[in-house]
Amino acid sequence: MLIELKGIHKTYDNGQPLHVLKGIDLNIEKGEFVSIMGASGSGKSTLLNILGILDNYDEGTYHLGGTLIKDLSERQSADYRNRMIGFVFQSFNLISFKTAVENVELPLYYQGVGRKKRHDMAMEYLEKLGLTQWASHFPNEMSGGQKQRVAIARALITKPQIILADEPTGALDSKTSVEVMQLLKQLNQEEGLTIIVVTHEGGVANETDKIIHIKDGIIGEIEENRSHSAWGGSIIK
Amino acid sequence: MRELFHEISSTLRNNKLRTALTGFAVSWGIFLLIALLGAGNGLMNSFVGNIEDYISQNITVEGWRTSKPYAGYKEGRDIQLDESDVLFTESEQWKGIIHDVYRGTGVTSVSLSLNGLSVSGALRGVMPDYKEAEKMRMYTGRFLNPDDVDERRKVIVISLYQAKELSPKDPDAILGRWIAAGAISYRVVGIYHTDESEMSRLCPIPFSTYKGIYDNTDKVESISFSVTGPETLEEHEAFEKLYGTAIRLRHDIAPDDRRGIWINNGYTDNLEMNKASRMINIALWILGILTLISGIVGVSNIMLITVKERTHEFGIRKAIGAKPGEILKLIIAESITITAAFGYIGMFLGMVACQIMDKTVAQRSIDIGGEKIQMLVNPTVGLDVALEATLLLIIAGTIAGAIPAWKAARVKPIEALRAD
Repeated sequence: MLIELKGIHKTYDNGQPLHVLKGIDLNIEKGEFVSIMGASGSGKSTLLNILGILDNYDEGTYHLGGTLIKDLSERQSADYRNRMIGFVFQSFNLISFKTAVENVELPLYYQGVGRKKRHDMAMEYLEKLGLTQWASHFPNEMSGGQKQRVAIARALITKPQIILADEPTGALDSKTSVEVMQLLKQLNQEEGLTIIVVTHEGGVANETDKIIHIKDGIIGEIEENRSHSAWGGSIIK
Repeated sequence: MRELFHEISSTLRNNKLRTALTGFAVSWGIFLLIALLGAGNGLMNSFVGNIEDYISQNITVEGWRTSKPYAGYKEGRDIQLDESDVLFTESEQWKGIIHDVYRGTGVTSVSLSLNGLSVSGALRGVMPDYKEAEKMRMYTGRFLNPDDVDERRKVIVISLYQAKELSPKDPDAILGRWIAAGAISYRVVGIYHTDESEMSRLCPIPFSTYKGIYDNTDKVESISFSVTGPETLEEHEAFEKLYGTAIRLRHDIAPDDRRGIWINNGYTDNLEMNKASRMINIALWILGILTLISGIVGVSNIMLITVKERTHEFGIRKAIGAKPGEILKLIIAESITITAAFGYIGMFLGMVACQIMDKTVAQRSIDIGGEKIQMLVNPTVGLDVALEATLLLIIAGTIAGAIPAWKAARVKPIEALRAD
């Protein structure tokens, strides 16, 4: 079991306490391609942040690859994030004053990998994603789809155990959305990467093998979707 | 370290406006500080230099006119010092404190002439150490020596001004010539440097010569001596009071009647002047540090905005594995790089400005009462002070960067990512 959540509770307290996650139990196996679906305010992003060790939780336990992720120091969580998790964000979150290849290199910089090796590896991943000729371009010189592919390359470069994608197609048009989802699917199938996609779009969720529905802070239905037939099988919005 | 530098240089290159603004604040602060200190040093050198010409390192006692009635005498009595006062001053009572006592004669105005040209002069009989005591600087030739006094030689030292008047074409040629001073001829043995002030009419001749020709009595116009022992202003004042009371009582003058017998203490004047120059120095540093603070505030302000502006970026860095220490290191190293590089530029420009001042303003002099005064003398700052100031700014820049950096490093990645 790669991810094991037991009785996760999370309450935000901004003046008025807001109970967002009300006891989440969830297991995700290595190599799974799952989506977490829910309306806005359902707690899906909070769950993803906890999975990505970007946020902490109040109650319960979270084991990632057998390690209990609880009450970690900032240093430790940064280290775990760097080595175990690759993030893909809705708004790409590339550093605007760095070129594509520099953005992809950055996680390796924080691992202390030398400049030459870093650069070579980053170029290798950019090539894999068909972005070689864009390597020295800045993010604002690229299209949304290209930026998201750069972000995916950055997520992949540390060879993480899981890829967490938060609305990865949210800022993309439908054609590019299909391409990005195809890419994630391919990575799951060919590299055996565990990929968790958070989305509110049925079409996107349909591309994954398992759809976890979350509503009002608890897990609802878990839908096996090997046939990709849920939601009429279409990604078109 | 090289990696960090590379990271910083790419950040700075890609944020040129921000870098330039921060850099300008730093450079400007250091530049102003150094230019200010340089000008201040120049002013102080000029002040000290101009005043030092008048301050002698000794005590001079002169008889004036009483201003208070005492011991049955009315006020307004003229006081004349004589040989007995010299003997009193040299007596056992002051042994170990007073030494190098010498008599000063009065002044006799004469007309100096040579080959039909003439200039006024004020003859004064002095001892050889008069030159040191009055800080006279020789232009050429020598000052009076002990043999001149012992042998009552008819020799004279005149000012460069007088030499030029008597021998307009070649003032130096007057050295060794006999010139007429009233009815008597003297051989010129030296020419001293002067400004064009009244002082330059003074013509020292040997004390014994003067006494023999112009003042054949035991009267003494002034008594000068140096002292050892008193160091502080208080000690000097105590000594002055002790000696003053004693010598005044010899002439039946009220002990506190400073106009009866006037004591001019060069030591206390010096101490007062040192105090004054110290105060100027402190004032300059206060001004300088205030200037520097404005630079530091500029740097911290920009660092604060920078960090705020980059919160989202730091969120990204944290999400992909940057530890808090790494964010801290990045910001501080960036702040040090900027302050050091631009601080150096500011320091360099400040020193150039000092050199320009030295070559322009410092070369000009103004005329005060017939005397040429240089407004600025050597208006420069030592490299040590310049480096210290730059170092101070770098440290301050680091602290200025550290506070926002510390905040940025502590922001949770999830919050940082939410920031715009």
